[in-house]
Amino acid sequence: MADQEDAGALQSLLMSRSLTDLELLEASATAPDYAILPDASVVKIGGQSLIDRGRAAVYPIVEQLVEAKRDHPLMIGTGAGTRARHLYALAAELGLPTGVLTDIGSAVAGQNAAILGHLMARHGVPVVGGTGFAAIALYLDQCGAAIFGGMPPYDMWQHLPTEGVIPPYRTDAGCWLVAEVYGCRSMIFVKDEDGLYTANPKTDPDAKLIESITVDELIAVDLPDLIIERPLLELMRHARHATTIQVVNGLKPGLLTRALAGEHVGTIISTA
Amino acid sequence: MTDPAAQFSSKDVPSALMRQTLLDRERVRPQTPQPVSRLLPWLNVVTIGGRSIMDRGRDAILPLVDELRDALTTHRMLIATGAGIRARHVFGVALDLGLPTGVLASLASVEAEQNGHMIAALLAEQGVSYLAHTSVGHQLAGHLAASPAAVSNGFPPYELFEFPPAVGKIPPHRTDTGAFLIADAYGAARTIYVKDVDGIHTCDPATAAQGDAELISRVEARELIAMNLPTLPIDRLVPELMGNAKHVKEIQIVNGLVRGNITKALHGEHVGTIVYAE
Repeated sequence: MADQEDAGALQSLLMSRSLTDLELLEASATAPDYAILPDASVVKIGGQSLIDRGRAAVYPIVEQLVEAKRDHPLMIGTGAGTRARHLYALAAELGLPTGVLTDIGSAVAGQNAAILGHLMARHGVPVVGGTGFAAIALYLDQCGAAIFGGMPPYDMWQHLPTEGVIPPYRTDAGCWLVAEVYGCRSMIFVKDEDGLYTANPKTDPDAKLIESITVDELIAVDLPDLIIERPLLELMRHARHATTIQVVNGLKPGLLTRALAGEHVGTIISTA
Repeated sequence: MTDPAAQFSSKDVPSALMRQTLLDRERVRPQTPQPVSRLLPWLNVVTIGGRSIMDRGRDAILPLVDELRDALTTHRMLIATGAGIRARHVFGVALDLGLPTGVLASLASVEAEQNGHMIAALLAEQGVSYLAHTSVGHQLAGHLAASPAAVSNGFPPYELFEFPPAVGKIPPHRTDTGAFLIADAYGAARTIYVKDVDGIHTCDPATAAQGDAELISRVEARELIAMNLPTLPIDRLVPELMGNAKHVKEIQIVNGLVRGNITKALHGEHVGTIVYAE
């Protein structure tokens, strides 16, 4: 059996070689991929794009999420938004490093998770964080959904950006990584635009909607502004589970529900 | 450019970054970039290899701990420990079961942590304790004001949020990367990797025919990447990340089996391989 030979070769390389060994790294690619929560979906609720808008934007989204969790187990991640921008600007002015910015930015995503948690409490939806992920299966099984602050837990260990000090891996990356590690069926980014445009539609009237595009194409066109974090594209190139994401407009009723049902209602970005 | 004040609404907190996607390269560039402060400019980050040192047991560890004990009188240190053979075992089990990279990272991190607990226990009498990630990230200054050193898990707290690697499924952010990132965040004076080889060689000195493995005494990070060596004594991510470093523009890899090397490296002497970024 080729599978067993591969597995045997991998085990022997693991015990004898350096973890930097190229042959070992290639052998580890032959390992199978087990999806931990294949029925769950990750939904990211934008901070600046939705939660900062208050009731007009958030109440309808909560209604859709409550409705959707009957059919789809949901892991709901939150973005940070305008307070994080204030913190980043202030901390950068003070000469503080990216690690400190990550830590304080993460608290803002956490506040937004708490806000959403209070709004969804009557529907039995808890907020989880840190070690709470260990019980995520129970929450999804019993409550149909769980909410988490979208910032990845990198804190002082965040990567350094090429320029400036703003953390490169923020809530888009954090939410996508949850979808990737749990092997979820879909990853939906809920924002305040119909999807990805050729430029920022808020500032450029000539911006055109891109309905679908591959990660490699998107990296190649190198748009000056993007609706999702740029480093997420590089992460997606190496996805083993979360190979497709969809960006949808949360200000338009029903689009999130349709996206969860598998419809193409925004921009789909995929690895192939 | 639109005047940010014109777009200001009660739902915004006014700031230079207000209403931005934070992804527009032009707008996100600071108008008056501030130099990043070194939070702990006297800090030395010393990484002790898992496979290379810890797995060798008493004969390798005790002399090295003696040397660290002496160094505590002159240098303040964050000692980061690696994982080693138990991490290889748990990788083997988890890979066979099809578990993802993020799970592998969480499992291996536990092994680096246990090695840290052991090093801290050996230095407890000198006031050294083991610090969890959250203490290293938030209270390192206080701990190092009370004690000359602290020990921590070299793995960064990426765990389930580990990146899927470009090739295969082994977590790319391991001990050496974690130590590098925390050293840069704190603006450490020196970043030293203690291994069981004299530095970076042109091929693995443990497996190569005698005389084939040549020591590279000093190399620029990008050149090291371009050499695409079949194996490295440090994580491949370290030289890649060095290009963006704010402070740690130089690291040294030293042989911890040779008594005195760590002390010399702490004093800035060149005793192993120095990797630097331009």
